[in-house]
Formats: sequence, structure tokens, C-alpha cells
Amino acid sequence: MWSDSLLIVFISICTAFLGEGLTWILVYRTEKYQKLKVEVERQSKKLEKRKEAHGDSLDKQHKKKIEREEERLKNNNRDLSLVKMKSMFAIGFAFTALLSMFNSIFDGRVVAKLPFYPISWIQGLSHRNLPGDDYTDCSFIFLYILCTMSIRQNIQKLLGFAPSRAASKQGGALFAAPPAQFK
Amino acid sequence: MASKSKQVADGSNKVKLQDSAWKRALVANAEWPDKEEFLDVIYWMRQAMGIILGLFWGLLPMKGFVGLLLFVLVNAAVIYFYVNNFQNIDEEEYGGLWEITKEGFMTSFAGFLVTWIIIYTGLHIADTL
Repeated sequence: MWSDSLLIVFISICTAFLGEGLTWILVYRTEKYQKLKVEVERQSKKLEKRKEAHGDSLDKQHKKKIEREEERLKNNNRDLSLVKMKSMFAIGFAFTALLSMFNSIFDGRVVAKLPFYPISWIQGLSHRNLPGDDYTDCSFIFLYILCTMSIRQNIQKLLGFAPSRAASKQGGALFAAPPAQFK
Repeated sequence: MASKSKQVADGSNKVKLQDSAWKRALVANAEWPDKEEFLDVIYWMRQAMGIILGLFWGLLPMKGFVGLLLFVLVNAAVIYFYVNNFQNIDEEEYGGLWEITKEGFMTSFAGFLVTWIIIYTGLHIADTL
């Protein structure tokens, strides 16, 4: 059982590197992506600073400037996701195939024992395709998802591929806020 | 991480800004001109803490919901203490305490669970399944 768990950790490290490697080949190293990334980061930081400086002021001119910059950032963000999307689809398909292969290899095998009793809506995942009613038995998919969650993001951050905080904050805010012209 | 070459002027500590972020992370009341740098330190501290706590919980062995709850509490408390009492950071600069509290939490939680489950399985479960 222990060798299975360690094998799953190893598999998820490999797939994380493979995924990042493929994304690097298809996306990160392209000139278009790099240009857009730098641009989005620069604009996000600029916008954040401007908002901090004039956040509460009711000056119409400043508001208009901020709105214009938000619009530009939104467009750049959209272009950035479009550049990413195509290759993400390809990688997504490849990984779904890989996952189903591993799923069939570990089908019905208890790969680990959970030291806690999982809540009901996790049980479907943690006890997937396993025989018996012992819900502390852990399935391949649950451990694999946990490994991927921790390993992939850390690898992204180590390699410097994770999006900057300013960019994701502004990006999130843009999607969450209603369009400025309708206010 | 980027290093700066200014000297801290207020005298509250003698750490040079040219020191790496990791050196400054270990010194009380260090100067953090770059917010991203400080948040990175919090992020990696959290990841290390996730693995270490997972290791401890697995070795003990800690079991049940208490283990999860204790992890969340210890994790949040250590970061809170580090930010407020050790580094004396004005949390409002970082968008409030919540922003700092959730920085890297999910990743650290996943790392903690993986370590806890694997150590617990390896050391305390007879390999009969």
C-alpha cells in the first residue's frame, strides 16, 4: 500500500513537470505570450497604484482614466487567455487520457488509509471504485488530486510561471465588478 | 528574489535591504519594500509548515477531524504571530489580515494532507490490503 502511495506522489511530480514543460513549449516561450504577460503585469501594477492614490476621490477625470486603463487591461487579459487556451485544451486532452490510464491501473486498489473520516461529499472521490464500506480507504484519484494541488502550484511558483498577484487580483476584480459604464 | 542595496535608516533593526528575503524573514521588524517578496515568504513558510505538521501528525499518529482542525488553527496562529508580533507588519498594506491568512493556504493544506496520509499509512497501517 505504501509503495502505491509513493508511486502516486512520483506520478504527480512527473505529470506536473510534464505539464509545465509542455505549456512552456507551447505557450510560455512564445514571444506573444511574454509580451502580453509583461504588459498585463505592468498595467495591473499601474492600475493598483492609481486606485490607491485616487481611490476615494470623486474627480471625474481620474475616474475616466482608471476606467480606460481597466478596459485596456481587460482586453490584454482576454488576449492572454486566448493565447493560453489552445494549448491548454491540447494538454487537457492528453492528461485526461493519462489519468484514465492510471485510473484503470489502480482500479479497485486501496492506495492509502485516511487518518480521518471524510465528510460525505468527499467520500465519492476518496472512495471511488473501491469495494467495501470502510470510508477511510483512500482511492487513487483522491490522493492524486491532493498531490497535484500541492505539487503543481509549487512547481509553477518555483519556475516562475505562476501569474503575479497584482495581475490575478486585478483580473479577478475585473470579472467580479459590474461594467463601469453601467454604474 | 530581488535584492536591494539601501540601508535601513530607522534603527529598529540593522538588517541591510541587500540581504536576501530569506535572511530578512528571520529577523524581527525587517523592512519589506516589495510586498510581493513578503507574501512569497509567507507562501513558502506555509508550504514548509504544511509538510512539517503533516510529518508530525503522521508520526504521532494524530487521527480524525481534530487533526484537520488543529492544522488550520496552528497554521493560522503561526502566520498571525509572525506577521503581527515578529515582523510588525501593517496588515492593511496587504489588503487586510484575510489576504495574508489565505496566502498559499490551499496549497499548504493539500501538502499537509498528502504528508499526513502517506506517513500515517506507511507507519501505522499493516500492509495487508
